[in-house]
Amino acid sequence: MSSQRPSAWYAVPAFGFFALFAALPMLLVIYLSFTAWDSLGTPQLNGGENWARLLDDAEARASVWRTLVLMVVSWLVQTPIALLIGVWAAGKQRSRAVLSSIFFLPLLLSTTAIALLWNALMEPNFGAFVGGPLFLGDPDIALYTVVLVISWQFIPFHTLLYQGAARAVPPSLYEAATIDGASRVGKFRHITLPQLRYTIVTSSVLMLVGSLTTFDTVLILTGGGPGTATRILPLHMYITGFKGFEMGYASAIAVVLVVLGTALSLAVMRWSGFRSMSSQQEGS
Amino acid sequence: MSRRSWVRPLLAMGLVAVTAVVSACGTSGPGESNAGSLKIWALEDPVLNKIEQKSIDSFKASGGNASLETFGNDPYKQRLRVAMGSPQAPDLFFNWGGGNLKEYVDAGKVADLTSVLEENKAAKDAFIPSVLDGAKLDGKYYGVPMRGMQPVLLFFNKKVFKDAGVEPPTTWDQLLTLVDTFKAKNITPIALAGSQAWTELMWAEYVLDRFAGHEVFKNIRDNGPAGWKDPAVVQAMAKLKELIDRGGFGQSFASVAYDAGGASTLLAQDKAAMHLMGTWEYTNQLDQSPDFVKQGNLGWVAFPSIPGGKGDPSNLVGNVSNFYSATADSKSLDAAKKFVTTTLHEDSYVDALIEAGDVPPVVGAEEKLKKSPNPEYASFIYELVLDTKNFQLSWDQDLPADDATFMLTQLQEFFLGKVSPQQFVDAVAAR
Amino acid sequence: MKSRPNWPAGLFALVWLAIVVGPLLYLVTVSLRSRAEYLGKSAWEIPDALTLDNYVTVLTGNFSQYLLNNVIVTVATVAIVVLVTVPAAYAVVRNTSPFLQRGFTLLLMGLAIPAQATIIPVYLMITRMRLYDTLTAVILPTAAFALPVAMLVLVNSLRDVPRELYEAQAIDGAGPLRVLVSLVLPLARPAIMTVVVYTALNAWNGFLFPLVLTQSESSRVLTLGLWDYQGQFGTNVPALLAAVTLSVLPIFAVYLIGRRFLLSGLTAGFGK
Repeated sequence: MSSQRPSAWYAVPAFGFFALFAALPMLLVIYLSFTAWDSLGTPQLNGGENWARLLDDAEARASVWRTLVLMVVSWLVQTPIALLIGVWAAGKQRSRAVLSSIFFLPLLLSTTAIALLWNALMEPNFGAFVGGPLFLGDPDIALYTVVLVISWQFIPFHTLLYQGAARAVPPSLYEAATIDGASRVGKFRHITLPQLRYTIVTSSVLMLVGSLTTFDTVLILTGGGPGTATRILPLHMYITGFKGFEMGYASAIAVVLVVLGTALSLAVMRWSGFRSMSSQQEGS
Repeated sequence: MSRRSWVRPLLAMGLVAVTAVVSACGTSGPGESNAGSLKIWALEDPVLNKIEQKSIDSFKASGGNASLETFGNDPYKQRLRVAMGSPQAPDLFFNWGGGNLKEYVDAGKVADLTSVLEENKAAKDAFIPSVLDGAKLDGKYYGVPMRGMQPVLLFFNKKVFKDAGVEPPTTWDQLLTLVDTFKAKNITPIALAGSQAWTELMWAEYVLDRFAGHEVFKNIRDNGPAGWKDPAVVQAMAKLKELIDRGGFGQSFASVAYDAGGASTLLAQDKAAMHLMGTWEYTNQLDQSPDFVKQGNLGWVAFPSIPGGKGDPSNLVGNVSNFYSATADSKSLDAAKKFVTTTLHEDSYVDALIEAGDVPPVVGAEEKLKKSPNPEYASFIYELVLDTKNFQLSWDQDLPADDATFMLTQLQEFFLGKVSPQQFVDAVAAR
Repeated sequence: MKSRPNWPAGLFALVWLAIVVGPLLYLVTVSLRSRAEYLGKSAWEIPDALTLDNYVTVLTGNFSQYLLNNVIVTVATVAIVVLVTVPAAYAVVRNTSPFLQRGFTLLLMGLAIPAQATIIPVYLMITRMRLYDTLTAVILPTAAFALPVAMLVLVNSLRDVPRELYEAQAIDGAGPLRVLVSLVLPLARPAIMTVVVYTALNAWNGFLFPLVLTQSESSRVLTLGLWDYQGQFGTNVPALLAAVTLSVLPIFAVYLIGRRFLLSGLTAGFGK
């Protein structure tokens, strides 16, 4: 019977392709982080010089901090809104169906399109808020403006996740609670939230990892400015590597990014007792 | 779902994919050039590229062989770096001279053109010496000028000045007074595209030059970042800070972009009075706000002098010119040398540059410039360059890329008031 | 299930509606204004006249070249991903060899790798392979980074196929290739659709790989083209926004036709 089963060769193209263009670069970036490479000529090993410099680099530390702020604030902003709207949109009423199909519209725009649109909206002299706050020009506000734009872009996506999950909550649970005289808020707290627990975890992981690796939005909106007010870690890497041509040092920053990303995913899953994403998933 | 209805689309898709990949490979640009034929790289420019192509065509007509490839600004620098380290290097490459070229010279990648220029006196003497010096490093010539000269000028809105009953500034103190005048009238005194640090850099360059002379930066470039510690730098930056704090640039400059036209439009829309920018601002305004230029409202002057400053008021900063340099290990080095000494000072090439609104870096062009589409403007620039004691290349082109990137970031922080003059100096000197 | 209307929630939804629709409205209305009107009037004033000039400006430029490049990148990426993952998922589900299972686990770990972090080595590899500034340079890494999610979706869907179906085919004497074509493909159809949509959206919207791996106009994709317009059009913001609007139209058309597929592709691997 075993001859009737597909041979392992069926998987070789996929695995090989992944190994070459995703796994190998992962290893290479670690190697490069121990080299000096100005992209002229070939990378030269320089020991731990990049790493020593990284520990000493105030700008890198600041960009890690900004990245963390961005992650936490955008999680705090997005989660409640997406959760509430998702649950609301899960209702069967026609008005809700119509409205939620409008809510999903930002999903159709690429990050580039969204960043350009908001850039135009917030242009200080000709945009929609002339005379208002300097959304992109004030170093104390700019990072939160980025959060605003990211939220506008991604809340619909998370709303979609919550909507699907909320629809899968067995109606019998709500019916029983209604008979027990539970209030709407009570039902939300004691039925909806616990039932959506896995979705909250999934959505949080995606949000956190997503904001850790935010790049296009910030590059187009502010280019990391004003000054360095929005220079988050991926952007710091890009500027160091592709503007300053310090590819080795930029690779060290990239490794930090990978470590942060992996640690983050693991931490959230461990903390929530959520082991395997794959066991949850079903071709929706 | 029947089997067949699935297989066919999948096959079709596969076929499209293969075609796509193959065609993508096919259009990946010209392959390797043959020995003896020149591969020339230049910066993308819709107008100038045509002229450059013409010079190549005429070079071909006289028996040579060459081809031109062009790239946008940032990708150009990136790609050149990669190529110079590989066998795919071009034979002749466009550059800005100065420190930007020095990196390649230090890596042994650039051919010394001194002897060939000495042999071809006619070529050497055709260029304005101070411009030719833009690609002179350690006494040797590494490049030949190939595009117009682009000093930075102080542009102003004549209408706004007239309405306020004032004249453009010739001294720093007049500039400060003008700031107050325009602020009182609710007009941004100076438009600044502060989201792009190189626009701010122009101010730092001129202020340091006028205040302390051009030797201060020369020292930084030649002897390393410690040169920033010269007390003149802190003092010059303090002067600049005074201008910023006085509201000279308004409040919203930090998110205005030059590429997106923000600063130029403020000037054209009478919302700002002055704008410090490279000579390309003229073409840009003509393109974006033609009425503003045609009504004669766009004015320009040299940067004001600073009373008591050590710098010569005739000194300029900006893009001295652009240069062609030859790669040292090019198989077609002789052809490359022939190209730069024959085509770039030819009448047809120079005339074409002038026609395109450029001010070519050649001597004795006064008469020709009268045929320029903007004769008054072109002659003004030409005279400025002829009279200048020193033409300093933009610092970000004159420093190695990593130092330049770092300095630009610090400068942005400085304009935002996050970093004091002293802190700016400490940061850039510590590199 | 009949319930009384939830007023606070409805109000909240309306506020959110305004936040979502406001910028989109701005996008479309400004793209229909003339530049003079954009510069001279506040965004909130009603324009004197609407114009399609901006769209003409965009369409007579390089827009179609960028669009074509985007289509090539998207189609090729999707094709590669589907062609390699469908057999691989089939093998992972039906072949218990430890090599495969371990390989699959490793692949899933790829879900946590941010593509941004690998951009420097990818850049190094692409330039060494002499693929810099080709569409192929964009396609290869884009496809590689779409593999983990695609595999996850496909494997999960194939695991739901009852074993008896495979065995029935085997009794008929069908080899693995025939099983793949006649059983796996039809059964995995919804999952494949999800993979197609997910991969296509990623490729369509890709920014970083094209940014770093291409430079010339002939290999510029739409996202970069839009960004480039910002410099090219200057303060002709209406033209820029017209280009942005045009870039949204293809996806919008897909949304109108196959909303369900699009949304399932978006949440591929993360639904439920």
